[in-house]
Amino acid sequence: MNMHAGNTEPDTEAELLARYAAGDPAAARLLAAQVTPRMFAHALRVLGDQAEAEDVTQDAMMRLWSIAPEWRTGEAKVSTWLYRVVANLCIDRLRKRGGVPLEDIAEPADPAPSAVQGMQQATRLDALQAALNSLPDRQRQAVVLRHIDGLGNPQIAEVLEIGVEAVESLTARGKRALKTALEGRKDALGFEDDTI
Amino acid sequence: MTRSDKNTTDTELETLFAAARSAPPPVPDALMSQILADAQRMQPIQPATGGFVSWLRALGGGPGVGGLVFATCVGFWIGVAPPANLPDLAGQLLNLQSSTDIDDSDLTGFGWDIEEG
Repeated sequence: MNMHAGNTEPDTEAELLARYAAGDPAAARLLAAQVTPRMFAHALRVLGDQAEAEDVTQDAMMRLWSIAPEWRTGEAKVSTWLYRVVANLCIDRLRKRGGVPLEDIAEPADPAPSAVQGMQQATRLDALQAALNSLPDRQRQAVVLRHIDGLGNPQIAEVLEIGVEAVESLTARGKRALKTALEGRKDALGFEDDTI
Repeated sequence: MTRSDKNTTDTELETLFAAARSAPPPVPDALMSQILADAQRMQPIQPATGGFVSWLRALGGGPGVGGLVFATCVGFWIGVAPPANLPDLAGQLLNLQSSTDIDDSDLTGFGWDIEEG
């Protein structure tokens, strides 16, 4: 079981999807409330662009509603399937960007300033996003899935359709690249104020 | 300050990840509304909206109910004003027609039961 706070039991998601396919109008609302925040957060961290993240999330959810009648419980987890769809849509968008300079990509809006404990945390989130934007596409996806979305390596391997060893390699290289990207910003991020 | 002091450590990187995990971006209301509208539009089976709708559907919908009403009206009219070549069933039910006597004397006559043994 994944211990990430935002995750739900996969069986619950499959059950809600089955209820949706059977015509239960409340099931869609419950399922959307459970999975949409995770998919939107992932898309936003990978793409670094609010509007594109919204488009990708809506597109992925439409594909989920579309496949609901044919969904076979037990073959795949709903959230894993959705992460895979979102990841592929994000890759498509990143490849279409091509040579767009990273500095031209809009920074995502700071999520709820009152909830991020002030300016320092907002600064840290901005610095992390800027560093994530500098990573190669697959490394960025792997790092976000592992360290922000909280997925295990086997599930990430399913999402990215690669082996577990390749996931470990991607996340390790991604973390090294993040450290390099954050080099020299240690003072600005105020780590010395932390008690950890 | 040395170079290593200026570099981000694993612990500090984890602090950044924890900050991102603890403050997930809120889903815009407009996006959630659009997702739910898509779900409603794409839902494969629309549930019945009430008991009457279910009853109507069980009877075959509008055409089925129309046929039933027509057959009921025709039957009632035939019962009230039957055509000339049909027996007056209403009169029979109301005992307005005299009964027909059946001559069964042969069946009850003397000797019939003796012949049968």
